[in-house]
Amino acid sequence: MIGVLRSLTATMATMMRKPVTIEYPSKHRKVPERDRAFPILLWDFEVDEPFCTGCHACERACPVECMTVTMKDNPKHAEGKSKRRKILDEFYIDYGRCMRCNICVEVCNFDAIAMNNTWTGHELSSVDRKDLVMDREQLLALSKSKQIRPWVPS
Amino acid sequence: MALLLWGIFGVDMNVWLDAFLRLQIVVIVMTVTVMGLIYIERKFVGRIQMRLGPMRTGPYGTLQSIADALKLLTKEDIRPATADFWLFELAPYVTFVPVFMTLLVLPFMEGWFVRDLQLGLFYIVAISGVTVIGYLMAGWASDNKYALLGAVRSAAQLISYELPLVLGVLAVSMVAGSLNLNDIVIQQDTVPNLVLQPLPFLILLTAVLAELSRRPFDIPIGESELVGGPWVEYSGIRWSIIFALTEYAGLWAFSIIGALVFLGGWEWPFGTRDFWGDFDFVYQLVLVFSKSFLLILTMMWISATFPRLRIDQLMAFCWKILLPFGFLQVIINGIVLTYVEDSETARDIVLFLTSGALVVAMAYVIYLATRQPSREERVGAALAARSAQ
Repeated sequence: MIGVLRSLTATMATMMRKPVTIEYPSKHRKVPERDRAFPILLWDFEVDEPFCTGCHACERACPVECMTVTMKDNPKHAEGKSKRRKILDEFYIDYGRCMRCNICVEVCNFDAIAMNNTWTGHELSSVDRKDLVMDREQLLALSKSKQIRPWVPS
Repeated sequence: MALLLWGIFGVDMNVWLDAFLRLQIVVIVMTVTVMGLIYIERKFVGRIQMRLGPMRTGPYGTLQSIADALKLLTKEDIRPATADFWLFELAPYVTFVPVFMTLLVLPFMEGWFVRDLQLGLFYIVAISGVTVIGYLMAGWASDNKYALLGAVRSAAQLISYELPLVLGVLAVSMVAGSLNLNDIVIQQDTVPNLVLQPLPFLILLTAVLAELSRRPFDIPIGESELVGGPWVEYSGIRWSIIFALTEYAGLWAFSIIGALVFLGGWEWPFGTRDFWGDFDFVYQLVLVFSKSFLLILTMMWISATFPRLRIDQLMAFCWKILLPFGFLQVIINGIVLTYVEDSETARDIVLFLTSGALVVAMAYVIYLATRQPSREERVGAALAARSAQ
């Protein structure tokens, strides 16, 4: 009998509380700083070029072989503006194949690659698998637009 | 009565046309209310579970009921090959028509019925008992063991809880001295019957929850064990008639009855009336509807709180607690109304005291029946049993 009244007050007290639901597609919860979505490349704003030198370290370490990297001579080094002798030419990551293991970030000697820790890394559904193969510009876009605070393990 | 409605209904109209028009109004109000109630219940229960409830369809999900109705009406109406054709097809209407017929005698404003019956309350009690036949028809005709089990359970439950419902209503009509709902409300112009008769109110609330097979008493429906009770095989429009219309129209009808019989209907609680002159029907409507919605929210609150009872608990609660106390209330009311003749006030006070004492007694009996022995008592009993060996 007392339990009945107590349970009634319990439900009423719960009703007064704020609902925990977040209406996902229209509202996003904050993503944690160390969230691991898919790898992206970072942009060096000091010399206006990518950090990546195309050294293939990540490509060789990648367990699922989802990356393709090519390297070229850095024209800015010849002009004396940059310390990087080599710079990346093309960079492809197949997001459909990547398993988000973070190994590429850990092996990178230049802190040039980071995991996407924003919601753009999670909402990638597409009709065609080809759309999930990202090229150099797509990989750099997020960092270039300064919409990300990359978390790189030191 | 108000000028507005006088203009529509006061003119010398054919009796059948008049009844037809009033019916139309009741049907439209009922449909809209049912849709609103489904939305309100989903929102309310959602909040109790710390969810938001429907949010996507329309602003704050307000169009959810309309979307649901469209979906249900356009779905395929499936009948099992082995089902009994006529019983299966007619069962939803047999369940729905009694609920609809109870709406005919409800005064939504002072003196505004579809039809004014002197035995209104008796008529409601009699007609709402027919619902169980629809449940049995559906369960039998579906040719499905779960449906039949649900139907038999609901027959047992509805017939059992019919009795406390009748007794609760009877006790109040003794106090009011009438079975006409209009007269019962007018009798409450100073004190609502809830104060005079708290025990019948509690009995009625419980019995109505059981009659509607709502959650603490939903063993006939029992999603987790019977998949959906008598309605397992129904789909589309038939299912929506049963579920949406019968359940929520029943909820609404019974809460209007509760509001009229116990909460004083269109009368202000403890207050005066008639200060709006010709437009008093506005506040009358508002009062009747807000009181009934208060009851509906209480029932939803109770439904969202308690888990389903076992069938023996359900039957024991009806036959061992509600029914004896209902009889006691009726007998005591008879004695009080016969022998306390001094004044209206003295009679009211005696009624309140006796009924309140019965509420306390009932609470104590329930407490004794449901009490778990404390740890000390259990240990003591175990020790006594051991030393006896």
